[in-house]
Amino acid sequence: MFPTPIEKSPRSWQLTYQALLPVALVMWLLPLIAVALFSIKPDADFTTGNYWGLPSSFNFVENYGKVFFASDMPRYLLNSVFITVPTVVGCVILSSMTGFALGVYKFKANLWVFFMFVAGNFVPFQILMVPVRDLTLDLGLYNTKTGLVLFHIAFQTGFCTLFMRNFIRALPFDLIEVARVEGVAEWRIFWYVVLPLMKPALAAMAVLIFTFIWNDFFWAIVLTQGAESQPVTAGITSFNAQYRAAYHLMSAGSIVAALPPVAMFFLMQKHFIAGLTLGAVK
Amino acid sequence: MKMFKATAAALALSVGFGAGAQAEGLSGTLKIFSDMSNPAPRAVMEGMVERFGALHPDLDIELTVIDREAYKTQIRNFLTANAPDVANWYAANRMKPYVDAGLFEDISDVWADPALADLASTKGAMTLDGKQWGVPYTYYQWGVYYRADIYNELGLSEPASFDEMKSNCQAILDSGRKCYTIGTKFLWTAGGWFDYLNMRTNGYDYHAKLTGGEIPWTDDGVKATFANWRELIDMGAFVDNHTAYSWQESLPFIVSGDAAAILKGNFAVPPLREAGLDDSKLDFYQFPAITEGVALSEDAPTDTFHIPAKAENKEAAREFLKFVVSADNQTLINNGDNLGQLPVNAKSSVDDDKFLKEGFEMLSANSPGGVAQFFDRDAPAEMAKVAMEGFQEFMVKPDNLDKILARLDRAAKRIYK
Repeated sequence: MFPTPIEKSPRSWQLTYQALLPVALVMWLLPLIAVALFSIKPDADFTTGNYWGLPSSFNFVENYGKVFFASDMPRYLLNSVFITVPTVVGCVILSSMTGFALGVYKFKANLWVFFMFVAGNFVPFQILMVPVRDLTLDLGLYNTKTGLVLFHIAFQTGFCTLFMRNFIRALPFDLIEVARVEGVAEWRIFWYVVLPLMKPALAAMAVLIFTFIWNDFFWAIVLTQGAESQPVTAGITSFNAQYRAAYHLMSAGSIVAALPPVAMFFLMQKHFIAGLTLGAVK
Repeated sequence: MKMFKATAAALALSVGFGAGAQAEGLSGTLKIFSDMSNPAPRAVMEGMVERFGALHPDLDIELTVIDREAYKTQIRNFLTANAPDVANWYAANRMKPYVDAGLFEDISDVWADPALADLASTKGAMTLDGKQWGVPYTYYQWGVYYRADIYNELGLSEPASFDEMKSNCQAILDSGRKCYTIGTKFLWTAGGWFDYLNMRTNGYDYHAKLTGGEIPWTDDGVKATFANWRELIDMGAFVDNHTAYSWQESLPFIVSGDAAAILKGNFAVPPLREAGLDDSKLDFYQFPAITEGVALSEDAPTDTFHIPAKAENKEAAREFLKFVVSADNQTLINNGDNLGQLPVNAKSSVDDDKFLKEGFEMLSANSPGGVAQFFDRDAPAEMAKVAMEGFQEFMVKPDNLDKILARLDRAAKRIYK
């Protein structure tokens, strides 16, 4: 059932493993390597068909300089921050409360309310496209960061509630009962007993939601248009010219856009991996 | 969004402006939505707004530049919901849905202005139901861009007839190269080949009727076009595996000399120049005649300005349109530092660029048959998609022709109904 650790396997297999691993790794990363390579090439390399070779000239400074100083990229990055951070904060606040309510209180509709939150996750978001777009238009929130943030919070809270509720369920219920016996008010139980215990889960969830929202492309193009509100994922397409696509700039832009979630992942790696398993197993 | 409040009224005098005499006293706000989002076109648009603003100091001009691709999906939205006074779009059938829906203003009165008589070459493209619905501001030629150095090496000259084109091609093939590079991944490049082969085989009027749904796809004329195309395909004139390339990905073949030519619009020139093909290596010829006696006609896609029917400041919008097409403005915005394309006004001068000059000459003097827009602008969008898929399939599997044509015919019966 459990794979034999590599150091206990025969030497020949160890060698094969050690040889194949880098190959698999490079192949796995090939598209990313291509993008990284192209981000330092001049535009002409694309037209001459120099896709995999060495850059004909080293254009790191020029390409990245253009991305930061001659395009709307900084604006798009800032938009991404202004969309992602409020969403993460909003989701964390709402879901810790809903998770607490659903995890601690026993009431008749508890399971049904919980199911509704979970069911939200199973609705393919494509079918929401038209109604959500009409709704934001009617509310006057079309093409605003607020509209995008509100929608993301509403949609992500379903998943976060599942996450939080299961985590709170796993906490020793005795703690809460002891507090109740002591006569502590319910909101103080939430604030002083449950919330501190939830910290690892909150951190894990914040990292997950951050990457989800940062990488969101679909809603960004449905609900926003133009540099004043679009996040960076949608903004990268602005390097598509009328007739030709500036692949070198798009590559550089993609690398820049991918850095924050990658940085976030490495900084919070512990929480991220915890987040993937937390709440999933009881 | 950028606001240009005109301040330098004196500048107005220094800007030549043909139709400006009655233009005083414009006031209020002029809202312009533009899809000229790339750096150079954007600068052109902003420059035009600035200069127009200088002519009309009391007018507040609000310019919104929207990403070109996003614009295509948003135009429906803003024409109905929150219409600007002036909006960019495209000529011919591409504007038909909005004309039919009553979203564009009839501006035949603007075209009645004698100053617009110099725009004759594009008037047809702006006309639907006998009325004009917008003004053009730029266009560009299509044609065969070829490697002059390869032609010289093989002792070939620009072909004047289809037979010559084929014999040239055979010589090129014999030298171990391909005649034409093409990338049909996104279909439209094959549409260019169909346009030219069909216009040369059957003429402009036939082509217009076909894209307009008046001639069935199973017609003998269409079959003759495909028979000519098939001759090239059977020779092996096109690069292999072209369905895997976008048009930009097809350029390396001509740069490396593995292919000798490409049928393309003038926008292919800048990347080819950047890749090292200077004017001694790259040259241009008009697609040669196929059927004798058929007047030559060309593809020249035209970009336009329109006034939405729901615009609020139509008076100022009309003045802006007249300003855009004036000879001086046309010369300026289409020069090599700006759009690098062809001016629509016959009185404008063309930039000193080999390809622009040849193109301007070709379109104004050597295109008696007419000027088409391009397959996916002349045919309705739905039909264009089905048909271009058929062209791509034909280029790979020419034996499927009858099946393809039957399919196109069925689609046409549904779409043009």
